[in-house]
Amino acid sequence: MPHLRPWGLKKIPAIRKSTPPALRRIASATAPWRPAAALDEWVQKEARPISLRQLTFFGRTLTETRLLSSANYVRTELPTRLAHRLRDMQTLPFVVVTNPHMSHVYELYYKAFERLRRVREIKSVEDNEKYCKVISETLQEHLTVIPRLAMGVLECQGLMRPQEMDRFMNTLLRSRISRRVIAEQHLALTETFNAPWHFPNAKAPPDPNAEFVGEVFLRCNAREVVDDCWTRAKRLAEEAYGPGCALPNIKVEGHLDATFPYILTHLQYVIGELLRNSIQAVVERRSNPAESPPPIEVLVCEAPQHVIIRISDQGGGIDTSIMPELWSFSKGSRIQAHLRNLSQVPKMAATMQELKLPNPSSEALKDLEMANKRPSDGSLSSLTSRPPNLRLGMGLPMSRVYAEYWAGSLEIHNLEGYGVDAFFQISKLGNKNEQLSTRASMDAV
Amino acid sequence: MASRPAILDSRILRVICPLQRRSRHLVNVADQSTVQRPWSHPPASVNIDNDQVARLASRPLHPLTLADLVRHGRPPLTAETLFSSANFTLSLIPVRLAHRIQALRNLPFIVVSNPHISRIYNYYVHSLSTLLPYQERSITNLEDEINFTEVMADLVQTHSNTIPILARGFLECRKYITPADVTAFLDEHLRARIGTRLIAEQHIALHLSSQPHSGKDSRYQPDGCSSCIGVIDTALRPAEIIRHCESFVSEICELKYGVRPTVVINGQQDTTLAHVPTHLEYIITELLKNAFRATIESGKEREPIEITIAASPDPSPSPLEDIQIDPPTPKSESTNTSNSILPESCIPGVTIRIRDRGGGISPETLPNIWAYSFTTFGEDEVMDVSDNGNVDALNAISGAGGDSSSLAGLGYGLPLGRAYAEHFGGGIQVQSLWGWGTDVYLKLRGLGRVRAPSKMASVKEASSTDS
Repeated sequence: MPHLRPWGLKKIPAIRKSTPPALRRIASATAPWRPAAALDEWVQKEARPISLRQLTFFGRTLTETRLLSSANYVRTELPTRLAHRLRDMQTLPFVVVTNPHMSHVYELYYKAFERLRRVREIKSVEDNEKYCKVISETLQEHLTVIPRLAMGVLECQGLMRPQEMDRFMNTLLRSRISRRVIAEQHLALTETFNAPWHFPNAKAPPDPNAEFVGEVFLRCNAREVVDDCWTRAKRLAEEAYGPGCALPNIKVEGHLDATFPYILTHLQYVIGELLRNSIQAVVERRSNPAESPPPIEVLVCEAPQHVIIRISDQGGGIDTSIMPELWSFSKGSRIQAHLRNLSQVPKMAATMQELKLPNPSSEALKDLEMANKRPSDGSLSSLTSRPPNLRLGMGLPMSRVYAEYWAGSLEIHNLEGYGVDAFFQISKLGNKNEQLSTRASMDAV
Repeated sequence: MASRPAILDSRILRVICPLQRRSRHLVNVADQSTVQRPWSHPPASVNIDNDQVARLASRPLHPLTLADLVRHGRPPLTAETLFSSANFTLSLIPVRLAHRIQALRNLPFIVVSNPHISRIYNYYVHSLSTLLPYQERSITNLEDEINFTEVMADLVQTHSNTIPILARGFLECRKYITPADVTAFLDEHLRARIGTRLIAEQHIALHLSSQPHSGKDSRYQPDGCSSCIGVIDTALRPAEIIRHCESFVSEICELKYGVRPTVVINGQQDTTLAHVPTHLEYIITELLKNAFRATIESGKEREPIEITIAASPDPSPSPLEDIQIDPPTPKSESTNTSNSILPESCIPGVTIRIRDRGGGISPETLPNIWAYSFTTFGEDEVMDVSDNGNVDALNAISGAGGDSSSLAGLGYGLPLGRAYAEHFGGGIQVQSLWGWGTDVYLKLRGLGRVRAPSKMASVKEASSTDS
């Protein structure tokens, strides 16, 4: 046996190219051997999807019993879901998991799994407090996962078929969202329970409009979110391109009063990525930086089942040669540039609390960041607030994962030589005909 | 529209294909069309060996590209290149017809027994029988070439206006075949039909404008435009076609509704590409009909329909300058055929976005927009269509494809438009904003798919006409 394959690793596919330099460096740095029995046991368990209603109504009638049952749900659910992802990683080719970034993520996951699976049943509010601390720490530790994964995927290009790599990434990211949502939900629940204004057995607010407003879901107003994302994106662009560069204006039209429950940071991330893509395309297309560029047009369209946000720019469109890999994490072109840029993001993520931008004038931005920051979602803020010229090559695929997770969609229509239309469809989750099945099946990963 | 390319129509056919010759074959089928016949086993007017069909159908279909159609260079063709075109056509058409015959034969017996479907079947058998004498030999003299062109003209004529017949046939058969099967058959059939007609029309057009034949008949001026190669315009301006179709659809709208929505064209209006004008006219007309109808019916006729033309930047011209002349006419200055292979992504392409404020497509309708809607008609709708009683004016517009004189109300527009667009590697995407409007993206690829390096040449005509 040339390799340790205690976990039934598949054979390394023949498509493997010569080992990239980054891998040669670390060929010996493999993960410590662990007995597979504990993991096997957890992999046997099915994830129990949480229903959308549970998620949206969870703060309704909060009692200690409910809090503890929530805690125990999270207690078994997190290790179960982690176990499934660990097994996924174990079935990747050996050469992929020995990549330093991949094995970093693997180790993080394994440690979290080991820690979380050992938590005993939560029987009291005190137990819960301790447990919440464990969850928060884990969430914090895992902030580096996305950039690390992205770098790992890029470095492992050629070692796996791109489609398989993308499938793996999609599953992993979806699962990550689901775990973070469950964990956050419980943290928020605990916070609510501990809040001085909380009275056990409090009645639900009578206002039907308020029914979906909770700690996890916020009532988002399309216009406000677009404006807010625009302000940030523009400020970042100003810093990146300097004052001499005329930036495009934004034109927002349509059903501007549309509101819907959503996780604000997810929304901000997706819209932010689209806007920064547009700004960047428009700015970089122009030959004369002082010349005023064509506006970015945003349309909000509200229908009974969904809200569509269409973002149209005249940034010249996407080169047809890039289109096939537009939604792929393992992009063929510009791989070195993406890797270089990605290597800056983990630092940003690590020091997320005091986000460092090259320019000191980012104070205002920091304030914005702080105002909107939700501690457990810091990984997204570090991505949302990176300078616009820091291209990572994963904005669109990541955004699509986030959009689809909440039963929405993200489409790009390319008018090559002219511009791009992006359609971000948001399901109105609070609608009476909510797509529980979709949500459940997504949540089960 | 001085530079509008000549569109093949029945006038031309009459010129080149004397009536007695054409009708000789067509007597049978003509009778069938007027007399209501009972359902029966299709009485083929001609018999073809099953072996012949099977032999031809077993040959693979050559994937047609626009480059194939312009590979013989610019007209006027010399006698020699004209023969080459004829032989190329001859190498493709019998196989294509045999494939169609086989697909029809594989339909359920009761479906082909339907008088309409059996008519179509007989047309194909007839057309193949006219080509069989040319098997196993090539065309090397003018007399053969003239005869062959007449056969092509007969083919084009026989199969024009057959889509409504097919539709009616399948409409009558809807109890005996599932909508999915009909859709699958039609998708393949209509796409194949587009290609077959185009090959035949292209040869006819090349024939008419060739050195040996042009000028003989002053009634027919082959080209108003210098950029045409047969039925292909190598410098087609989409903006021009859009304006042409717009005025056409607007007039009908004004007649029917008393209003005409405005159309604003922006983007790269001067862009040109190599394409088949009649195809583009058909597609644009269908898309405009939809946009106009939605705009008017939602009371938004004050909101202009915005059409944006985007052209991908030309691939860097340098590698294409080392043009290798393709065999057919090495001495002709007009040939720009080249053996350089363009990667697919670099093929010049045009995207046309048609954006209306007509309220969008409802979520219930959206999944079915690509279906031939008659396949799912209820009894009432069948009656409406059969009586032509409930056909709105926009539906009654016949498209420019020459196929649509009575497509009215059968719900063909969008799927057939997409078939035309996809034929050369383009496509149509629809993005509905329910409650607001619809964005339609029409992609056109100028020179189609590029095959693996072989003696088949890729041609870069579009850019050469600019210089």
